Amino acid sequence: MIAAFFREIVAALNAIWADKGARSTMLGATLFFSVFFPQPYLSEVVRDMPVAVIDQDGSTLSREVIRRIDAADAVAVARYAADMPSARALFLKREVHGIVVVPPKFEQDLLAGRAAPLATFSDGGYFLLNSVMSSALSNAARSLGAEVQVGRLTASGVDMTQAMAIVEPLRVTAVPLFNPTGGYASFVLPAVFVLILQQTLLMGIGNLKAGRRPAGPLSTLADTVVYVGLYALWAGVVLVLLPWVYRLPRIGDIAVMYAVVVPFLFAVTAMGFAVARLIPTREGVIFFLVVLGMPLFFLSGVSWPTEAMPELLHVLSLAIPSTTAVPALVRVNQMGADIQSVETTILVQIGLCLAYSALALLVDWVKAKPAA
Amino acid sequence: MVRRPHLKAGFRRVFLAELRQIGARPGLMFMLAPFPLLLFALLAVVFQLGLPRDLPIVVVDQDRSTLSRQMVRVVDATPEVMVAYKAGTLADGRLLLLSGKAYAVVLIPSRTERDVLAGRRPEVVLFYNNQYMTPGSLVARSVGGALGTVAAGISIEARVARGADVESATQAVTPIPVRQSALFNPSLEYVQFLLAAVMPTVLQIFIGASAALSFSRDRQGIAGLGRSLRLGGTLLRTASGKFAPYTFAYLLVLWGADALLFGPMGARFGGSLAFHIAYGLVFVLASQMLGAAAALLARDTVSALAAVGVITGPAFGFTGITFPRLSMNGFSDVWANLLPVTHYLELRTDNILRGAPLDISLPAFGWLVVLALAYGAATLLLLWRHGRPRPAAVPEPAR
Repeated sequence: MIAAFFREIVAALNAIWADKGARSTMLGATLFFSVFFPQPYLSEVVRDMPVAVIDQDGSTLSREVIRRIDAADAVAVARYAADMPSARALFLKREVHGIVVVPPKFEQDLLAGRAAPLATFSDGGYFLLNSVMSSALSNAARSLGAEVQVGRLTASGVDMTQAMAIVEPLRVTAVPLFNPTGGYASFVLPAVFVLILQQTLLMGIGNLKAGRRPAGPLSTLADTVVYVGLYALWAGVVLVLLPWVYRLPRIGDIAVMYAVVVPFLFAVTAMGFAVARLIPTREGVIFFLVVLGMPLFFLSGVSWPTEAMPELLHVLSLAIPSTTAVPALVRVNQMGADIQSVETTILVQIGLCLAYSALALLVDWVKAKPAA
Repeated sequence: MVRRPHLKAGFRRVFLAELRQIGARPGLMFMLAPFPLLLFALLAVVFQLGLPRDLPIVVVDQDRSTLSRQMVRVVDATPEVMVAYKAGTLADGRLLLLSGKAYAVVLIPSRTERDVLAGRRPEVVLFYNNQYMTPGSLVARSVGGALGTVAAGISIEARVARGADVESATQAVTPIPVRQSALFNPSLEYVQFLLAAVMPTVLQIFIGASAALSFSRDRQGIAGLGRSLRLGGTLLRTASGKFAPYTFAYLLVLWGADALLFGPMGARFGGSLAFHIAYGLVFVLASQMLGAAAALLARDTVSALAAVGVITGPAFGFTGITFPRLSMNGFSDVWANLLPVTHYLELRTDNILRGAPLDISLPAFGWLVVLALAYGAATLLLLWRHGRPRPAAVPEPAR
């Protein structure tokens, strides 16, 4: 019995190696995607986004506020424009991604204690550039405004401490957790890597099993052990080694990670068997999985909050292992969550594994009946 | 139906042969229009809110004063955020973050109100989950804004107490107000931002993959590509006859999705419709040529599909919609230029969102045309190479 099982294990390994499609998805594609996919994000943050300035005041303070905007890491004052139409033309040509207008009498109003507004135009078509613009501007405006106010109060005879207490009676400090620099690679990649594991495993199983007659229980068990074992190794590579190579924050406990990864891989394998039985051709399975990658990423709630999705859609999306596994693994690896924080996910994965196994058996049974 | 003699070799004959091929495969028919439209519906439902609302956060109120309760009220009143949990300690709040139940913790330390009154400038801390960047930064912005309002109120009161009038005290609180307006997409709707960009990217996968399937299948068939070439007569007629059914189907999907987006979903269309139709057509053609060229390079159908998957699957990251192209490394910038969808999305942004004059869009349109021509030329070349009669069967005529 044990010897037979080992023969099946060897057979399963040989099958992966012998099938070109399976070999390239389960061995090649996993690594290829994890190197290729991160490329656009590797610089992590936007630096020196060019902006145009229209300085209609030309005063010491207007130059000071422009200097402070330029001093922000994320933006750089690239062009001075004479008026709005010429600034807008630069914007349309994508030579600048934001426009700052310092109105006339900026300094005069500011020193007289009247509101001296800055007008800024940012790009609503690109959200990251939009938020880069808004934080650079509000930081510069707030720091200069507070200094001018404190200066006015101290000049009128208020002592420094009291002046500070009037200008800023309550300090509000925002502390970003887990991804302190707001890096885009640190945000996207940990989630995408989990999805790559799921999609390539499903494709590999599709390559090996779609359109074939279902094998016996011993052989299926051996296949499962081989797939889960192989992908447990891949999980180590893409979830531990690659984050280290790319310098992404990773603070999680590896044991907790595997407590999620192993049931996740079982669920994906069971789903792979079910999909391979439902879609009869290898081409069909691969087509289906390739186009589904991006929608599945959005369903995981890492980039678009699940709270903003309709409840029904969220419940339906739980049928895909990645929907809960992606955020759970991000919480473990990047946020240092312990096993209690992800136990729901582990239970969901076990449930999915059982459900997809049952579905695969049901399809076998339905297909076998007419023949009997 | 009357049996007619065989059609003359040419575009129509290849076109009809391809239609029959599609008709014989219900799976392929499903891939042509219903499946992409279903995915569009799915994504539309995902982003239906346009902007997230009532994101759950935790408040750790250790002060329990009038002021701290006011802060909680103001924070809770912002539309984006909901105070879903009140925790006694920061550790409890942290657990809620780690289990994914909340996006941020607001800590109001004890004696906050007393210290404010004594002018000791106490600190209220907002810890937000920046690993989930979209909701995290949204929460940070709205909670920060709400707490800023509370602080401003106190500041105004202090100034009024010192004898200032309310008007000037209010102005003094924010001496340099920033009036930010987003040029184009001013409401910052995610529907415009993501849905309109994700759909063409997904469609590029469909278009490339179906072209790959079509050419690969002919090549793997017993008769090989030679048969398709005989049906078409010339290379160009064969290729266009094979492409045409898919071009029609995917243009219908592309424009059908746009019709939904700009019709019932209420997105604004601010540009030239004729131009929109033109670059849509070139985009579909370029994506088809890309898939066909990949299919003719790859050894078998599965590798052809895998190649298309590798090229078009990760395309979204390269288009610069989420992470901007100006911050990408050199490789990504070059790769992005080789993808039809990059230029298509840029043209869409220019035309629909920005209403830019045509001369602004010429470089991107030029790129799209060049890509279509280059991939098309590669397809024809490979078609000629693989489709010519085998030298063993037909010896080359002596020159």
